[in-house]
Amino acid sequence: MSELDHRVRGVDHVAFPTFDPAATVRFYRDVLGFPVVHSICAAGWGPQDHPDFIHFFFDIGNGDRIAFFYYFGLDRGSIGGGPKGDVHSRFGEHVPDWFIRSRHLAIHVDSEEDLLEYRRRLDASEWPCEMQVKHETIESIYTHDPNGYMFEMTRAMRPITPQEDLDANLTIDALLDVVAGPEPTFGKLLARKAELIVERAASWEPAR
Amino acid sequence: MTTLYVLDVPENATVPVVAAQDPQVSVGRVGPYFEIRSAGPIVVDRRATGCRHAVWYSAVAGVARDSRIVQHDKDALRVEPA
Repeated sequence: MSELDHRVRGVDHVAFPTFDPAATVRFYRDVLGFPVVHSICAAGWGPQDHPDFIHFFFDIGNGDRIAFFYYFGLDRGSIGGGPKGDVHSRFGEHVPDWFIRSRHLAIHVDSEEDLLEYRRRLDASEWPCEMQVKHETIESIYTHDPNGYMFEMTRAMRPITPQEDLDANLTIDALLDVVAGPEPTFGKLLARKAELIVERAASWEPAR
Repeated sequence: MTTLYVLDVPENATVPVVAAQDPQVSVGRVGPYFEIRSAGPIVVDRRATGCRHAVWYSAVAGVARDSRIVQHDKDALRVEPA
């Protein structure tokens, strides 16, 4: 357990490249209603070979922002890569979709009503909701933005309980033990976690 | 002996109840975990628990070293002595 004080305050911004700023602005500002809150128009960035660019930001709530880089004159074809993925990361045909989708941004909403409101906005657009799923304790909607980035919005179906924090810490300690050994498997993790439950869970009390 | 641990959160509440329908199975506690034990196999029917899939596939917190999962699919969870 970390004794370091925890000073950070969430996401300042997360940034992605785009080759289609018009569609990106339509998706984030005009469809979802995320205000444009900042932009930088830069003539290069020091090195001679750096293109001129626009760096633009949308508010995603809570003062957090999603940002894009549009580079003038950058040819999309020059990036290379395979037929799958988004405009930043291209993958070969053989790469499974679940692996590609595992990197994504999820934006939080407070209620089912808010989630369904964003679903309505997406469904009325060129980027309709592709999936609405109840996971373990959250419900999410998914689409891909105009750049191919997987985009999730999610709500908590209930608050996280203190015992789930304990469970998460036992999982991580078991995982570190298992990946330090040969051939990690899910079965080995569950066996190690059972030992940690016996060692540590009986004396556990929720923090007050 | 077969031993299975399940975290006590609302979504998992039916898992020990369904497991305990077998009179050989006993359900105890280790802190916030259910400790489900049996001299033989522990079998839990998914539909009887009413767990949706995401909950079902993440419901197992731990399996003792003398036990092993032999089935965990859309129909059932089955843990047997190793």
